[in-house]
Amino acid sequence: MQGARTVNRLLDDLELNREAHLVIRNGTLVPGDARLEDGDAIEVRPVISGGAT
Amino acid sequence: MTAVGSKCRVCKEPAVIDLPRHNAHFCAEHLQQLCRRQMTKAIDDFGMLSPDDRILVAVSGGKDSLAIWDMLVEAGYSADGLYVSLGIGDYSTESGGYVQRFADERGLNLQVIDLRQDYGYDVPTASKATGRVPCSACGLSKRRLFDRAALDGGYDVVVTGHNLDDEAAVLFGNTLRWDIDYLARQLPVLPATNGFPKKVKPLIRLTEREMAAWCLVRGIDYVVEECPIAAGNKHLAYKESLNAIEARSPGAKSAFFLGFLDRMAPLLAGHSAAAAGELNRCAECGEPTTGEVCAFCRLVEKAAKHDPVPVELVLSKRARKAYS
Repeated sequence: MQGARTVNRLLDDLELNREAHLVIRNGTLVPGDARLEDGDAIEVRPVISGGAT
Repeated sequence: MTAVGSKCRVCKEPAVIDLPRHNAHFCAEHLQQLCRRQMTKAIDDFGMLSPDDRILVAVSGGKDSLAIWDMLVEAGYSADGLYVSLGIGDYSTESGGYVQRFADERGLNLQVIDLRQDYGYDVPTASKATGRVPCSACGLSKRRLFDRAALDGGYDVVVTGHNLDDEAAVLFGNTLRWDIDYLARQLPVLPATNGFPKKVKPLIRLTEREMAAWCLVRGIDYVVEECPIAAGNKHLAYKESLNAIEARSPGAKSAFFLGFLDRMAPLLAGHSAAAAGELNRCAECGEPTTGEVCAFCRLVEKAAKHDPVPVELVLSKRARKAYS
């Protein structure tokens, strides 16, 4: 994806629930209002696990 | 210039996470402080642990169980780990590796049970052989093996990594069915009784997102990929539904589950078969059961005779799509 945006905007654009994901920028965890720029290494990490027992 | 971002509510340093249910941002240090306090409050409010308890932590290689093991050791508790290798293809191999590295790096005592080597079956085979859904065969196996290991090892208590999201999702499902027996048993502390060890859930005040963040800021590597068999199960659907509500109404999950514990659970006390003491001893293994032979012995009997079944054969249609 091209273009700067906030973490929250990125998750919205990807249609991902903020409560179910963390975003890591250049190896560091960042909050929803952190700004992401072109060239940043971004990992969107899901946090939901499915074991019911 | 890559970021401005919000400041930590406590120290005003740059935040690493926003937690809408607390209407606040936190830096790495004060996120950990919040997690420690929430764990301690759960332990104290429900009388989960005593300082000199010998603790057995049920570990899976996922974020929650490694986080609670880390938190308990950091808090000064004596806690060993138990990992059950379930035979779920590469997922089990990878999970076991994370657990072993975690224990080795910290010099912690880890016990490992391998279902195939030690009991002659694995979860996919047990599912096929018994007709149980895989998550049911898995849960039954783990519960029984953790119970047995705790009693045999002289542990005072079994700790599991169930978090607020897990408990809220189970409560949601039990409520949709008005399953009174399960609702009456959904407690953060199950006391040692009827041949079962004491079991506690110190993470009930912390969300999955908070536990994943704990692991990140503490440098804990864990298996991020979901169990391939769990993909598409009802439990995940309940979590998605609750997270949709949480996004509109921060704090809803906490109010739902912790409100249940505070105001509904007391009204249900004594309504489960186990609580009423209606248990026999299994004719095979002598452990508690509502029937003549316990469900675990029946599962082992069938599964160990069955030809091994690869994990791909027990995936649901949705799980197969995610796995491929």
